[in-house]
Amino acid sequence: MNTRLNRNKWEPYLWLLPSMLLIAVFVVFPILIVFKLSFSYISQGGVIGGFIGFQNYVDAVKLPAFKTVMLNTMWWVISVVGLSTLLGFIIAMVLNQKFRGRKIARSILVFPWATSLVIQASVWNYIIKYEYGNLNNVLLNLGIIQQAINWRSSYQIEFIWECAVGIFVTVPFVTFCVLSGLQSIDGSLYEAATMDGAGFWGKLRHVTLPMVRPSLTVSTVLNIIYVFNSFPIVYTMTKGAPAHKTDTMITYLYMLSFYERKKGPATALSVIGFLILCVCAGVYMIGVMRKEDEQ
Amino acid sequence: MRSPEMKSQNRRALLFLLLGLALALILMSLPLFSFEAQVYTKKSANTFVGDEKYVAAKAEAEAVAEEYRAQGFSVSLSEDVLERVNSKGKTTSLVTFTLSQSYGKNLFSLLGQGFAASKLTAALLLCLGLSAALAAAGLVGSGDLLPRYLDGRSRALRGAACVTALLALLLVPVILMMNTYAFSRQMGLHNAGLLEEGRALFFSRMDRLLFDGQMGENIEQVLSGLKYHCSGLAWLLLPAICIILLSAIQIRFGAIKGTLLRGLLYFFVVVVCLVTLYPYYVMLITAFRSNAETLDMYFLHMFPTKWIWSNLTDIVRRGVPRYLLNSLFVAGGATAIAMLCGIPAAYAMARMQFKGKKAFLGFVIMSQMFSPVVLLIGISQLMNTLHLNDSIVGLMLINAAFNQAFAVWLLRGTFVSISPEMEQAALIDGCGTMGALTRVLIPMAAPGIVTALIFVFINAWNEYTISTVLISTASNRPITVGITQFSSFNMIEWQYLFAASLLATIPVVILFMSIEKHLTAGLTSGGVKG
Repeated sequence: MNTRLNRNKWEPYLWLLPSMLLIAVFVVFPILIVFKLSFSYISQGGVIGGFIGFQNYVDAVKLPAFKTVMLNTMWWVISVVGLSTLLGFIIAMVLNQKFRGRKIARSILVFPWATSLVIQASVWNYIIKYEYGNLNNVLLNLGIIQQAINWRSSYQIEFIWECAVGIFVTVPFVTFCVLSGLQSIDGSLYEAATMDGAGFWGKLRHVTLPMVRPSLTVSTVLNIIYVFNSFPIVYTMTKGAPAHKTDTMITYLYMLSFYERKKGPATALSVIGFLILCVCAGVYMIGVMRKEDEQ
Repeated sequence: MRSPEMKSQNRRALLFLLLGLALALILMSLPLFSFEAQVYTKKSANTFVGDEKYVAAKAEAEAVAEEYRAQGFSVSLSEDVLERVNSKGKTTSLVTFTLSQSYGKNLFSLLGQGFAASKLTAALLLCLGLSAALAAAGLVGSGDLLPRYLDGRSRALRGAACVTALLALLLVPVILMMNTYAFSRQMGLHNAGLLEEGRALFFSRMDRLLFDGQMGENIEQVLSGLKYHCSGLAWLLLPAICIILLSAIQIRFGAIKGTLLRGLLYFFVVVVCLVTLYPYYVMLITAFRSNAETLDMYFLHMFPTKWIWSNLTDIVRRGVPRYLLNSLFVAGGATAIAMLCGIPAAYAMARMQFKGKKAFLGFVIMSQMFSPVVLLIGISQLMNTLHLNDSIVGLMLINAAFNQAFAVWLLRGTFVSISPEMEQAALIDGCGTMGALTRVLIPMAAPGIVTALIFVFINAWNEYTISTVLISTASNRPITVGITQFSSFNMIEWQYLFAASLLATIPVVILFMSIEKHLTAGLTSGGVKG
């Protein structure tokens, strides 16, 4: 249709050039650097030596905390993404009803999404302090508890708190994704389902879920990627202490490369993380492309 | 219109209404709250339960109890046996006789005493009375249960009855908690020697409540060891008020199930909103408290005792404006770059046909998958080579690049949704492609562009990880990194940390709220998150 616009065969590429350049230099190039570094010897001082094959990968897997960190990462991603998807879905269902104050509720729900993660994590870090944290304070003042509770008595519990904060900040994203899916559902579908005698669960299974599945898929895959990449919550609340027992892969590789001066294994971990992300990204791409084709 | 069936239904509703009201009033006049004061203790010498020393001590205690009873006090005697083994291996007991007096108080006795719960109790009574009166008036006014037969006046009356009953329902737990707060917690603090402010006032109020002001000077001593207990019966007030509410609803709407679901919905929404707002409340109050108060476990108040506004001037001195300005530069620059690169790309994607369009789309989406964190080492290496380490420009470029995907994606969606006819007209009129874009398309796509703009801005503003790694000079720090200076390893200055956080949060939250509606539309197609 746009024959007039395509006066020059090269014109479209010219229009794309700045964007491509930006992405190529600051996204693709670092990927290549990390790949190259992961096969090179890096001294403790950061001097880059020659090719050493898979030595960095072997070192990374042999690190004492490697297994814990991988397990933590798995739990972190599964619990945060799973629970926030469930919660976000329920909240979206509720917010999709018509009621007074819906706009206010939606505006409030945006708050955690708009706030910097490092600030969120700091606030929760203060709230659950044992000696003077606000949670104990409020509960004591209301007479719900008689004695201050140590909310972070062990590292397992601290890790659960980190997951909880992760869920808290992730829920709004899911809610708004699902909400956009819900709002595109034609009301007549529900009427038809009611005519067919479907109850609440029937409508949920046969109308709502199939209709919001695309947005739910997109939000879930994106969340897996973002939660996997999430750094500030764990870093602010525990810094992975004690002995990397609460670290996820991302905070661990940060600690390795910038505190413990083990850049070699750290780059190897980066590549492993990158490959995991690639798999997720591939799934996401297939989903998006299919959706594009449908339109 | 009034069928006998409806009349009987109405009578039943009225009956329930009165029943609920009576139940609530009876509950309120029961001694739901009790205070136990120890008026006398007697310790026996080392003894065995049942031998003569024990009997003598017990007789003595009972004599004292009789004395009290003769004066008209109700006291109860309890004994506490402590067994221990002496050096010869014999078990002896230390028996403590405690004479305690219990003071039962009902909700009405709180009225006019000046406690926080006093006014609320008055409000509760008012709500109960109003709701019952309104419901009854609505009932008498029109005989029919079905809403479609109700005239406007009785509809309004019954609606008001529901609202007041709901208010009463909310007041009950608040009153009970206020009481626990006033009596249990303050008394606990008093016993621990920690009650400082409002001490005299608290004592005089307690004196008036328990002893009609007779204790005077002695009240402090009497209050030590006073125990507060709230009877579980108090919670029965809730179902009692629910009965009132339900009968008011039945009169108002006819259908209870739908209304209950509605109530549940509101309850859920309120809980979600409260949980969401809780950290922001903590941030707000902590930002204006003194350092001593932030570290005080016995902090009694929901708000700072004194709002310390100088916290703000303190953080200004500690360099926060500089950090905010840096953030503004980083986010503004990143947004500008992302838009300058993104708009042409999105335009080409939306309007032109060319080979490799799909590949470019894939390229863009792929780049969105990688948060800079996993590539940290590569990025810091790259920045070293480009000499953009520790510079604001470097941060701008990185943020622009990692937000490019979303910008292109959302802008493309906006451009596609606008029909190309206008631009074609402009082209025919002799505008170049550039002219068509800037004069026609961009003004028309303004809402979408603003959404993308604000979103990139917020993402760049909130970015933390890359900045911590790249920025080493203090004066180049953006605010997210700047606030961490208040939480050093051994001392965290919470009030400054949160005052700065507050300044960093308020603008972006407001910005975000402004684009929330547009964002929902572009979400699932683009996929975005900070």
